Amino acid sequence: MAKQKTREIFSMGVWLDNPILRQLIGICSALAVTNLLVNSLVMGIGTTFVTAFSSLTISSIRNYTPNHIRMMVQVLIIAAYVIMVDIFLKAYMPEMSKALGPYIGLIITNCIIMGRAEAYAQKNKPMPSFFDGIANGIGYTGVLLFIAFFRELLGFGSLFGIQIFGDWWTPWTIMIMPPSAFFLLGIAIWLAHNLREKYQSEGAKS
Amino acid sequence: MKKTFWYPIVFMALLTAIFTFILAFMNYSTADRVAANEEYELQAKILYVFDIPIENDSVEAVDELFNEKITLEDDVYAYHEGDSVEGYAFPVAGSGLWGSIVGYVGISEDYETMLGLTFTQQSETPGLGGRIEEEEFLSQFRGLDISESSEEEYVVYNPAPGGNVDAIAGATLTSKSVANFMNDDIHEFLQERRGE
Repeated sequence: MAKQKTREIFSMGVWLDNPILRQLIGICSALAVTNLLVNSLVMGIGTTFVTAFSSLTISSIRNYTPNHIRMMVQVLIIAAYVIMVDIFLKAYMPEMSKALGPYIGLIITNCIIMGRAEAYAQKNKPMPSFFDGIANGIGYTGVLLFIAFFRELLGFGSLFGIQIFGDWWTPWTIMIMPPSAFFLLGIAIWLAHNLREKYQSEGAKS
Repeated sequence: MKKTFWYPIVFMALLTAIFTFILAFMNYSTADRVAANEEYELQAKILYVFDIPIENDSVEAVDELFNEKITLEDDVYAYHEGDSVEGYAFPVAGSGLWGSIVGYVGISEDYETMLGLTFTQQSETPGLGGRIEEEEFLSQFRGLDISESSEEEYVVYNPAPGGNVDAIAGATLTSKSVANFMNDDIHEFLQERRGE
């Protein structure tokens, strides 16, 4: 297998092959937790951690894992890391644990993690898999923050809990409700697609 | 890799054992901290029910304030101000839309006013039923006069006759269920107390 450069892994995970914008996976949580920037950031960090370490672990034992039970093994490893994140938040960030509630447990069902495990970690060496997990996690976090930026700004008039707009601002209630996430996610995907096409056609010309 | 019958089973068992051990260890080593966090949260919520302002929200300060003003007797918290008892907080619970809801209701010592309400456990839809935990909903129960309420109708949503609080729009089932179990539990508590 050709040795992939770390830079390439990152540009793929973060932008070119961004999990949400390009692979269209991990959308459920992108819709659910993006009404506040802080929630999105913690969710992003949690998912990045789980993706990176589960990819690392799965890749390290890939040569010993019997192929027909690999999915069981993957789910077990992912679940273990998710529980670690959950325990950590409960012990050291109880407020955040309460705010994110069931979504932390639901990281396990985030398609990004299983997707990366199957598509990358299962076939590559541990370190590139680890970086691939981080890159995809960052790509995911980036999109979450992008959506949360608009939702929190327009819905609460604040950013990271700091009030930006004064009393004159009428919050858009729809922004903190689930439907707005659909609109914003759609817009984000559309923008990213357009940018990518422009970039690619320019690249083709030169 | 050779395909044998035992290898996958042993492999899986071993892997499970390793991860279970790691998780059990993490859980064990953080158990005290988690319990302390939960206790702190409960204390803060009981103080909130009685509308006792928390000036310093550090763990020690809240614990001190709590121990100074509040005593627990068979799941009922009593609020002491000096030598006199100002009110009682007792648990209310029922089923919501997705799971059980548990909370505390504070009632004044003469059983005529509701002092406050808080929820300690709920898993309602965030943004809809989950808003029962928001100040806007909870503050409606502060100082609610229940001396005139007919039996089992302490909480009545507007615009029904005798309505005294607003339900949450878009969360009819949660709102209804909250009013129902609150009315039942308050009634039970008052009967027990007034009967004494």
